[in-house]
Amino acid sequence: MRARVGTYVLLAAYAVVSLYPFAWMVSGAFKSNREVLAGGGLVPADPTFDTFAKTWTELDFPRYFLNSLIVTGATVVGVLIVYTLAAYAFAVLSFPGRKAIYAGFISLLFVPGITVLLPVVLLQQELGVLGTHLGIVLPFVNGTAPLSILLLTNAFRAVPASLRESARCDGAGELRTFASIYVPVCRPALITVGLLTAVPTWNEYVLSRVSLNDPSTYTLPLGLQSLTAMTSPEYNVIMAASLIIVLPVIVLFIFLQRYFVNGLVGAIKG
Amino acid sequence: MTRRRLRESLTGYAFILPATALFALMGVYTVGYGLLLSLARWNGFTKDWIWVGLDNYLDILYRDPALAPLVWDAALNTGLVMVGVPVLAVVAGLPIALALNRIRLLRNTLRTVYFLPFVTTGIAVFYAWTYVLQPQGSLNAVLGALGLGSLQQPQGFLGNPTTALPTLIAVMAWSSIPVAILLYLAALQSIDGEILDAATVDGASTWRVTTSVIWPLLRPTTAAVVLLNLRDALQGFQIFLIMTNGGPGGTTNVLGLQAYKWAFFSDLRPTLGLASALGWVLFVVAVLLAGVNLRMLRSRT
Repeated sequence: MRARVGTYVLLAAYAVVSLYPFAWMVSGAFKSNREVLAGGGLVPADPTFDTFAKTWTELDFPRYFLNSLIVTGATVVGVLIVYTLAAYAFAVLSFPGRKAIYAGFISLLFVPGITVLLPVVLLQQELGVLGTHLGIVLPFVNGTAPLSILLLTNAFRAVPASLRESARCDGAGELRTFASIYVPVCRPALITVGLLTAVPTWNEYVLSRVSLNDPSTYTLPLGLQSLTAMTSPEYNVIMAASLIIVLPVIVLFIFLQRYFVNGLVGAIKG
Repeated sequence: MTRRRLRESLTGYAFILPATALFALMGVYTVGYGLLLSLARWNGFTKDWIWVGLDNYLDILYRDPALAPLVWDAALNTGLVMVGVPVLAVVAGLPIALALNRIRLLRNTLRTVYFLPFVTTGIAVFYAWTYVLQPQGSLNAVLGALGLGSLQQPQGFLGNPTTALPTLIAVMAWSSIPVAILLYLAALQSIDGEILDAATVDGASTWRVTTSVIWPLLRPTTAAVVLLNLRDALQGFQIFLIMTNGGPGGTTNVLGLQAYKWAFFSDLRPTLGLASALGWVLFVVAVLLAGVNLRMLRSRT
């Protein structure tokens, strides 16, 4: 019995640690600027929705939100099209160089982002896409290649070969077998890859910061960052903006968490 | 038969074409460009590069009296992060996974809660931590209220040169512990219950079972957790960029951040070659780590 109590105390303590900054994020977002400056307790003395409303309407956040949706959506669609096709070839078809090309993609996992960051920006310039959403979507898609190919290839390999044979007997071509059998059967893996792409893209800051320079193209993280460039940081506004970024991710995670969990465990074991 | 095989090969190439084309454009081009740039001096605006051979590498590694110490200080900080984050991930992740594995009630709810720091990782959460850690922030207030006033930081946890780096290591670990918990939990659930029952019947205490039965069985998971965090600690600099930008006084400057500054915030100084060279040094370290990774995976099977 004592051991059980100890277990729950440990687990409760770590739950507090996990939630600590989120609690203060919510608290800050509902305080007035005066109260935030004074410090004060977790529960706002005089909770106000004004900060939230002001952040949303006056600071161009609807536009940032839309930009983030566009960039994230385009990246997810790109990843799912490009890498389900590639993974199908790696898992099902046989062709010379298959193993070597597959290994080449997977080895990209080990290239640090910073090593290629500057050349990526120079390449964007050369292609005339520096400062555009397309300019960041291309490297974002390419950046997910190793993980996406790994997870999707494993999923396609697990599809029984008999399904493919029977499709072939029915006279289905490769593209039809892919689209009408493999993709529907492996839907959970596709959702996993979509999520593991969407969340980091939604939060991405480092490349966006040096690629996008026109505020009308800013995504949410850049919109948030531009708030802190003002003379004195208004933490109530910053926390409201942070909450706007974090909330969609939390909602998505709560509803689809088993896909996250399976994906991460699969990626590391694979 | 051979015609069929030829057709299958061509179909295969067609299926991987979009991925390969994108990779050729983004990957091969940027790698080639980056390598060339590491052999040149350039400020990003002039038309021509000045070829300097291996000078950039030698300068940042030991030769230049201004650059080399900067890089070595950053390397030391990076090293501390590479020790601190993996150790914290194991030391916190394993006990929590063990505890979580022992309960039924609330297990799924707690797992969701523990996972939030990982999925939300990014600028928003780092600002929330900055808000919490500032001089008038809640952490100082909470410490005061708990009677732990001696632990308070009047300059803020990120403003004091001695606490800034450990604080950032802790926040980085806070973001990565969820994955450690998840992996340990998955591994624990795959351990055969009979082994544990046998050990318990033999009269071994919980502590004994944990240290001499469970811990060895979890070694591959521990290796995976450590290597994953080593990689992230080597490469990750976003949290440093956002929360301290290397300050105060360079005490939280890490290699990735230094390369980022040389690449994008050089104010017309010709440091782009240095940034590239430093990026490739990091690449070599990452490859060495990957090599260790592969060896450990092989020895596992």
